[in-house]
Amino acid sequence: MKQFKSIKRTYGAFVNAGIQDFIAYKASFFGFFIGEIFMCFVMYFIWKAVYASTGRTDFMGFSMIDMMVYVFLTHISGFLIQTDATFSIASEIKDGSIIMRMIKPVNVDLSILFFEFGSKIMIITCVFVPVMVGLEIYRYITLGYVAFKLVRLILFMISISISYLLSFYLNLIFGYLAFYLLNIWGFGVLKEELIKFFSGAVIPIAFFPGVVRKVFSFLPFASLTYTPVMIYMEKYNGMKLIFNLSLQIVWLLVFIGLSRGLWKWAEKRLAVQGG
Amino acid sequence: MIEVKNLKKEFQKTIKDPGLSGAIKSLVHKKTETVKAVDGLTMHVDEGEILGFIGPNGAGKSTAIKMLTGILTPTSGTLEINGQIPYKNRKEYVKEIGVVFGQRTQLWWDLPLVETYSVLKEIYCIEEKKFRERMEFLNEVLDLQEFIKSPVRTLSLGQRMRADIAASMLHSPKVLFLDEPTIGLDVVVKDNIRKAISKINKNDKTTIILTTHDLNDIETLCERIVMIDKGKMVYDGSLYHMKETYGKMREVIIALNNPDEIKNIKPDKKFGLNADDYEIEKKANSVSMKFNSAKVEIPDMLNYILASVNVKDITVKDADIEEIIKKIYKSEVNPGEAV
Ligand SMILES: Nc1ncnc2c1ncn2[C@@H]1O[C@H](COP(=O)(O)OP(=O)(O)OP(=O)(O)O)[C@@H](O)[C@H]1O
Ligand SMILES: [Mg+2]
Repeated sequence: MKQFKSIKRTYGAFVNAGIQDFIAYKASFFGFFIGEIFMCFVMYFIWKAVYASTGRTDFMGFSMIDMMVYVFLTHISGFLIQTDATFSIASEIKDGSIIMRMIKPVNVDLSILFFEFGSKIMIITCVFVPVMVGLEIYRYITLGYVAFKLVRLILFMISISISYLLSFYLNLIFGYLAFYLLNIWGFGVLKEELIKFFSGAVIPIAFFPGVVRKVFSFLPFASLTYTPVMIYMEKYNGMKLIFNLSLQIVWLLVFIGLSRGLWKWAEKRLAVQGG
Repeated sequence: MIEVKNLKKEFQKTIKDPGLSGAIKSLVHKKTETVKAVDGLTMHVDEGEILGFIGPNGAGKSTAIKMLTGILTPTSGTLEINGQIPYKNRKEYVKEIGVVFGQRTQLWWDLPLVETYSVLKEIYCIEEKKFRERMEFLNEVLDLQEFIKSPVRTLSLGQRMRADIAASMLHSPKVLFLDEPTIGLDVVVKDNIRKAISKINKNDKTTIILTTHDLNDIETLCERIVMIDKGKMVYDGSLYHMKETYGKMREVIIALNNPDEIKNIKPDKKFGLNADDYEIEKKANSVSMKFNSAKVEIPDMLNYILASVNVKDITVKDADIEEIIKKIYKSEVNPGEAV
């Protein structure tokens, strides 16, 4: 219990610093915020036009409202799970500044994670909440009844948190590999391409032969944003919901284990650059 | 307090032939070379001691400090500090130590300085009351007040260094490692930092290991020095002893009415000194003469100079530690034999 308290205290400080750091860049944040709102409206009008031109109320099983929720939520989820972990860790390893983390009684990965939490909290309050409120008001006006369900929001938050952690640890693993491939830039591009490939962004997963498709659908890459969004939209229910959440959790544990193991191994072989 | 035995660290360095073809070749076949950065270091430091850890560039000082602070795992050898083995349980171990790497900062770059201190307060679980007392003390010795609310990126180098030293000592560490804490600072700031280090050492009985290239730091702070070169220890002893043993070369600064008269001073003829035993050098407004005081007594030399030329002003300098160290670095003297 006492240990838990001190952990909370230590990493709470990192969250705090993360929030302040985020605020320190107010100007760029407002640009980002306005850009996001603008993007949302652009998407709204594009889809409105699509539905108007087909003259149908249903498009691949999605009503216009469904589509709106899907598009907005996917877009915001992308922000929520976005992480700079690869870059943070790799550049710190490369220029040796990682030693400044190592001389403190903290875990290297957790100190980066909780610092990033700070900016996530800001994004949730400043972007996620307003957009969701807007979306639900829109849903209410169009449908004429309250479609919002608190349980779904909570499940969504759980799922998206796991997705974020997944993406964080995956990025961290790539960052640690910078121990060996000290020039991370080319490596970063490779990582992006690999993830795109495995998530079906390069070649749609549907185009692969059956077995491969099956394997891909069990990999966590494609579902990082898809799973939480489907949960919110009540497309995943019952066993399907439980299965998909469990799959996420299993993958998360695998990635955490992998990254911890990799760090332990690398720490002993670390040759800090410079100084 | 600190016990180091036969400590070694080897690095694998990849060597690449120059140019594009070299770069491509190194992709296919990596050629590596072993660098012995620290090569069998043995030393002992007592509690409350300030140890000057010196040596030429690339001697292995920073590498040794990185092992002592638990960042690097030694290739071989043992080390124990404050009853703990640094690399074994880094997170526990670092609670008791403070570290400053002069070329880096541990401050949050974009946040006001105070924020770094409040994060550190939480990381080290310092109580509010203790924290305030400590801040007051550090503020007094390092004078942080004027910039404590400014973002770190706006601080000058000297301010940043003071802030960094304060950050390393906030949790009252038992051992403090300072790797070039005075690098790039002006004389006044250097002096302040030295005073602060000395006060902290007296106040808390902090054991301090200090590396520096500024020998004034050493002279004002350290009773004992350890000198290493190419990863090996070349001297371990007091500063006084070093001066006594190797400080035979003394320097006389002579200001002349007519600079050309210097030709009249011929210590080789007069005292039969070898070329190694003296050196005359013209400076902007004066002439400097170094000579071996073991061969010629200082009064004799002064009398000779005063008799030979018209002197406007004359000074005899104290045994210059810088000279001694330069010689040891250049391996002109071998302290290993003399110690
Ligand atoms: N990560 C590394 N990989 C390979 N070689 C290294 C590495 N770090 C240090 N070295 C080598 O080890 C030797 C000692 O370096 P170190 O930084 O400890 O010297 P130093 O005594 O601190 O020098 P300076 O006074 O210039 O700071 C040097 O030859 C250096 O090139
Ligand atoms: Mg160094």
